[in-house]
Formats: sequence, C-alpha cells, structure tokens
Amino acid sequence: MSILVVVIATILALAFDSSFSGLFTLRSVGSITPLAMPCLVVFIALFAPETIALITALILGALVDLSPGYGDLAEGAHLIGPHALGYFLSTFFVLKIRNVVFRRRVFTIAVLTTATVILTGATEALVLLVRGVMPWTPSLQGAGFSDLIKLFGTAIYSGLLAVPLGWCFIATIGVWKFHSPTGRRATWR
Amino acid sequence: MSSYGITRKRANVLPISIGITVFLALSPASWLGWTSDLSDLVRVPVTPFSHVGIMVTSWLRPAVETSDLPTDEKERNELAIAEREYFRQMWSAQMLRATALADQLRELQALPESALRNPLPPMIVPIDVTGRKSSDVASPLELKLVRGTSSRIVEGDIAVIGSDIVGRISRVGLSRAELIPVNHKEIGLTRAAIVSAHPAVNRPPLLAEIILQSSGEHVMFAEVPTTSGVQEGDLVQLDDPSWPSAGAGFTLGVVTRVNQLDEAPLRQRLVVTPRRRARDVSRVIVLGTGETNSEGVVE
Repeated sequence: MSILVVVIATILALAFDSSFSGLFTLRSVGSITPLAMPCLVVFIALFAPETIALITALILGALVDLSPGYGDLAEGAHLIGPHALGYFLSTFFVLKIRNVVFRRRVFTIAVLTTATVILTGATEALVLLVRGVMPWTPSLQGAGFSDLIKLFGTAIYSGLLAVPLGWCFIATIGVWKFHSPTGRRATWR
Repeated sequence: MSSYGITRKRANVLPISIGITVFLALSPASWLGWTSDLSDLVRVPVTPFSHVGIMVTSWLRPAVETSDLPTDEKERNELAIAEREYFRQMWSAQMLRATALADQLRELQALPESALRNPLPPMIVPIDVTGRKSSDVASPLELKLVRGTSSRIVEGDIAVIGSDIVGRISRVGLSRAELIPVNHKEIGLTRAAIVSAHPAVNRPPLLAEIILQSSGEHVMFAEVPTTSGVQEGDLVQLDDPSWPSAGAGFTLGVVTRVNQLDEAPLRQRLVVTPRRRARDVSRVIVLGTGETNSEGVVE
C-alpha cells in the first residue's frame, strides 16, 4: 500500500469532514452531515493487508478524534479513542467479511460505510458510557433517542456520499498499490 | 523463513496500539491537555485545504440572513461595519449601565466616579474559520491565527458577527485558536438583559435581567417573572461582568418562545436562539483584549 497516497487521501478526507461537508449539511433535519473518512476506512479495510488495515484505521480514527469540533474536554483537550476504536472495530468487521463480498462494487463500499458509521457511533457511545462510570469523569449526558436518529441519518447520508467517493477510490485502485493475499489481482471480486 | 520473523514483530504492534488507545480513551481529562498541542500539529497540513473548503462552502451556501440584519454586509468593508456595530453596541452598553446607575442613584443619591468612564476599546481582529464539525451546532470551531494576531487574542475574548456574539475564545494555540459557540455547555450561565427589539412608548427599554443557560443544545434558556412583559422577538444582550467589558450590549440571541411554567405560575421560561452562528460564516471578528495599537484595528 502506498503510504503517500494514503496520507494525501487522509488529508483530503479530514479537510472534507471539517469544511466541505458543511455544503451538504441538512440544516433543517438536525444538521445531519455526511462523512468522508468512514468511506476511506472501508476502502482500505477492503483491500489492504489485515495488520496494515487495522493500524491505519487506528491512526485515522485518532486523527478524527484530534479534529476541530471533537475536543469537548476542558481547555480544548481532545479525547483520543472513540473514533480510533470505532474505526478499528469497523475494520475488523470488514476484514471478517471481505472475502465473501464483491469488493470492487461501489454498492459494497456504500453499504459498509453506512455500517461503519453506525458501528463507530456505537463504539463512541460505549467509550463515553465507560468513561461516565469512572470516578474522575462526570456522568454522561446525551440527547438519547434524537442522537440515535441523527446517527442513522448520518450513516445513510455517508453511505450516499460513499457512492461517488467509492467510485473515485475504485477508479484509482492501481495508484494505491494494494496487493492481494495471493498476489493475483484476478482473485479480487 | 526470514519473513516469518517480520510478521511476528508487526503483530505485536497492534495489541500495544490498542492498549494505548483504550488507556487514552479512559484517562482523566486533566491528563489529556497535551492533545490540544498534538491537534495543532496534525492539523497543520489539513488547515490550508479546510480553509479553502470553508471559503468555498460559505460562498456556495451562505448563511441565511435574518430580516432585521443588514443584507448588504458582505458588500461593505468588514472593518468599517465592525466599527459601526461597536459604536452601536457601546450605546446599548451605556444604556444598560445608565439603568444600573439610575438604580444606584436612587439608593445612594450619588454617582460613582467609574460610571463616567467608557469601556476600553477592544482590538478588532478579523479571523478566518478553518475547521468545524458541521453536524453539531454547539461544537467548538477552529480559527486560523496569522502572524501578529496571536498576541492580541487571549482566552475568554469575544467573537462577534455584526452586533451578535457568536462565541468566546477557549484556547489560543501555536497556529490556531479555538472558539466555543455561545450555546456550548462550557459557557454555562451568563448574565444578560432583555431589551425590546422595536422600542415602543408603552414598553420600558430594559424588560428584564436574566441568567441565560447554555447547555450544548441549539438554543439557550432563561426564566423571567410573568410581569416582565417579555415577548417573542425581544433581544437578549450581554450584561455580564465576568465577560470582557467590550462585549456588554452585544446581542446573544433573540427570544423565540415564551412558555408559562406550570410548576411556577409567576414565572415564564424563555427559549433564546442565537441570530448568527459562527459555523455559517467563513470569518468572525474577535474583540481582542491582548496587546493593542493606537487604531485598535488589526489589518
């Protein structure tokens, strides 16, 4: 896997999520906004070697946790973990099923992106719940059902965004220099 | 055979990385102060792209202008408008101050000397927004710090758009600052005054003094006596000594709902909505209280 290409794609995905995505925000429906990073995570998870995909997911998640808007702790501190662990678990999930899906289909990337957003949201909620149990952290306060609806909305919207993004990724798959486990591209589906 | 060893070494990296991540995720917030500096560093390559993105987004999808705000703001010189709004805000600040003094005068029959002094003029610093989380209306925003501005902005300074307060500076880093919106939960309780949006003969200029509560939702809340006469559309203006004095009289929001409290029949619950939000624009004006120059304006 070409690290340079991953770095460039990561920068563009982070920039999209912290700026361009505002263009697509549904302001009248709870500010639901599509995310580009889950699509990138899914794409890497589908084609990269297992260990590299998992480590990359951790790093990408940590970068998202360090993005503006995610530093909700005192004095602008960021909580590293919710997205890092969420993307890690999502990648683990994709790795388990990637041999039985049509990897080079945009539809596959879109569906898995939707699943990744939901799984990451669940992981984030779990991390915050566990933190809330800790004696040094104030108890968790959330909007409950409305947050859940918003998470599903974001997941579906991100899945829709993954259609053009996934097409771009698949169209440029040669640049990423992935190698199939057997060394034969003909085995990819 | 040689590749077997390499594979085993790589496999060990994963559990260690996960362990570190889980540890960080559960650590106390006081241990994570360094993450803000780390965020500054990792955002360096992203900020130019996201800055362009914010400008393009603001151009393609501008904020909805409310009817009582000037619509030709974008065509005018931003600094001139900021100065005009500053003088307008000073009038409101003096009105609030005069009301307070009138109360004191009735009690003490004497004006304190400090009442004759005007608030110190702040440094007007236009700053570009370079990052935000569009899905959360109360999440912090990232502001770009250019050379010469970092010393003029300190934590707690107020960011405005026109005559509306959109947030406070929560952190000034190496290359960027962080802005928390007025409805962010860290803002907490703020003292404010409610004035009539359209002054009338039969309505007093100052309708009520309130404690405004920001809880991280898209609106803020307050309570007033039923007899205060507050109506929907009235303006909520800052009147809090814990904020920089330059912000007194700026608008925090507009009353969008007045609900009768069943548990307290003599009180009403107000829903206050910010008129302008920093996430809808590409640039805000920070009233810097750091070092100042003679003009009070940063180019």
